[in-house]
Amino acid sequence: MEIIKNPNFDFLGKRKICYVFSSLLIISGLILLFIKGEKNFGIDFVGGDLLNVEFTQKTDVVNLRNIIGEIKISSFTVQELGTEGKNFIIRLPQKTSDIVIEKLKEKFGDTFTIKGKSIISPSMSISLRKKAIKAFLIGLIGILIYLTFRFEIKFAIGATIAIFHDILAVISILVLTGKQIDGMVIAALLTIAGYSVNDTVIIYDRIRENLRKTRSTDYITIFNKSINETLTRTILTILTTLFVAFTIFFFGGETLKTFSFCLIFGFILGTYSSIYIASSIVIDWLKRSSSKIKL
Amino acid sequence: MKTQFYVKFGIIILVIGICLYLIYPPEKKLKKGLDLQGGIHVVLEIEKEGVEEKSLSDLTERALEIIRNRVDALGVTEPVIQKEGTDRIIVDLPGVKEPEKAIEIIGKTALLEFKLVIDDENLLRQALNGNIPEGCELLYLKEKDERGIYRETQPLLLKKEPELTGKYIVDAYVGYDRTGFPDVNLVLDKEGAKIFEEVTGKNIGRRLAIVLDGVIKSAPVIKERIPEGKAVITGKFTLQEARELAIVLRSGALPAKMNIIYQEVIGPTLGKEYIQKGFKASLYGAIIVVIFIIFYYLYFGLLADFTLFLNILILLGIMAGIKGVFTLPGIAGIALTCGMAVDANILIFERIREELKTGKSPKASVDAGYHRAWTAIIDSNITTLITGLVLFMLGEGPIKGFGLTLSIGIIANLFTAVYVSKAIVDWIIINRKIEKLRI
Repeated sequence: MEIIKNPNFDFLGKRKICYVFSSLLIISGLILLFIKGEKNFGIDFVGGDLLNVEFTQKTDVVNLRNIIGEIKISSFTVQELGTEGKNFIIRLPQKTSDIVIEKLKEKFGDTFTIKGKSIISPSMSISLRKKAIKAFLIGLIGILIYLTFRFEIKFAIGATIAIFHDILAVISILVLTGKQIDGMVIAALLTIAGYSVNDTVIIYDRIRENLRKTRSTDYITIFNKSINETLTRTILTILTTLFVAFTIFFFGGETLKTFSFCLIFGFILGTYSSIYIASSIVIDWLKRSSSKIKL
Repeated sequence: MKTQFYVKFGIIILVIGICLYLIYPPEKKLKKGLDLQGGIHVVLEIEKEGVEEKSLSDLTERALEIIRNRVDALGVTEPVIQKEGTDRIIVDLPGVKEPEKAIEIIGKTALLEFKLVIDDENLLRQALNGNIPEGCELLYLKEKDERGIYRETQPLLLKKEPELTGKYIVDAYVGYDRTGFPDVNLVLDKEGAKIFEEVTGKNIGRRLAIVLDGVIKSAPVIKERIPEGKAVITGKFTLQEARELAIVLRSGALPAKMNIIYQEVIGPTLGKEYIQKGFKASLYGAIIVVIFIIFYYLYFGLLADFTLFLNILILLGIMAGIKGVFTLPGIAGIALTCGMAVDANILIFERIREELKTGKSPKASVDAGYHRAWTAIIDSNITTLITGLVLFMLGEGPIKGFGLTLSIGIIANLFTAVYVSKAIVDWIIINRKIEKLRI
């Protein structure tokens, strides 16, 4: 069975439109991120208290909001998990969870249980944030060095920008859809970074092979040919990974919902960026400089 | 040629055997992280005020020992207590039943001091107006009423220098006072007993305040010289409170105040939910992938599925062998690995197809396919491995778990996708004398 027989698309001819699309997505996301500020982030990154409460009887977000509102707490959010009206996530400012639990006891007696509770101080959240960023950047530098060594600096930088693009684009989608960036989202972003660079390297590998076979400097044709030759693999791999991401989205429960949501968009963007960011940047770089590629 | 195959298959079977041995029985060998089995995760930070930078690490070390004693007294199985940096202590207690109580016990400073009360109405009044005499301090006696609620808080003027501290305590246990309330009995060591005898002997008729973490628990009048080194702390405790107090006093006071900067409580039902749903979703996903690959590649699909299965087996085996812990993001790492394992197979099979189209024989196509796909597989896997290793080494908690499973999975992948699948394909082509390859 074959998906497409001898594909021959002019992928790179459409790269300018894609630059515009990517820039718009990322810029609009980042602007909104900036406007909404701390609200975008889970308590892991800004500090605060989080309660996961399950009631034995049905209630709703408005009711809970009113009850907690009776205590004078500056800002809090109540979010329902699932659709049964029994499980809720309550996000609170620092060190207010105990008062809220007291209040709930007063109103609901023993008809609820605290399934989970997190309390994170600002100093801890700062170090968590720093650590995550540090690990990510060092990982990127490692990739940059390895790819420079195996390909060339242009390719290495193209792949690194593609990773950045995918992560920023997914963050933008999260912000635009009003979802919070928390620890699980970070795990998803890391998975996406891994997938993105993997996909990019497969196309680069074919470009490298085709460049070695020819003396032609018609790079766009060579790049397009390489992308077309690896197209079946690209489609098969994105299909299989999306199968998994979608099943996690539908059957993985509430905690994995945002996680798999990120994966679905991240995998698609990771595939897209291998062509329209990673390869396109190398092409445009080559057009500007007169040097040839040495692989 | 034949011996070469025997060696290859021998190695593959050996690897499968070792992994099965490492994993069995899975409930015991595969360790679940806190997020999956429920429990508490606490990070404590030493209060740096008035502490020298140099002695910080040493203080944390001492605090860690004391916290370990307290956790042992709680009877938690497989706790993790470790120092992080110079000023932090991480405590992981899986499966704790009363998380709130445990956290309180761990974090309590438990500095016990015996201080003499200065019974002078005038001085006390002056002190209340903010004019505290030299060498004295103003603390509050908090007393509970019958319903266990703190009612009265009575100010008392105390000598700042304690007569005796909790460091001389050798034992602390729960007893009952005359009114039937639980209290905490203390036994002092020889030196402590001597000091206590002296202090009580010299100050008959005065009041001696028992101060715990800056709050006066009680301030009884010294009626006589107490020679045997025994003291009692009363304070209308509940039995539970008295027990907890006994635990912290027995394990000693923390050398400095510790603040809880991170606290996560995961109820047991939440962990179960994660496992059930996460497992179900992963299983469904895997089944779809397995069927899809067979549908697309036929016999080669079976081979890809076998290597995928082997990949997971090796991953679990190594995790069990190094006592690695599975976390929820860690399971995401496994999912990514499976994706990459399938990808390696797809790369190889697509390459074989391309080679077949150029008119090569099945054997030559297979050889060229594996050979040419190799650079793509190695480069893509190593870049991902770099990320995985960095995350494992520098990341914390869930991110670390993710990096670990991802790294192991990729190493397993390089073995299964290339070595194992090539050995099987070669064997089939040579033994079956296949003329035409269907892929």
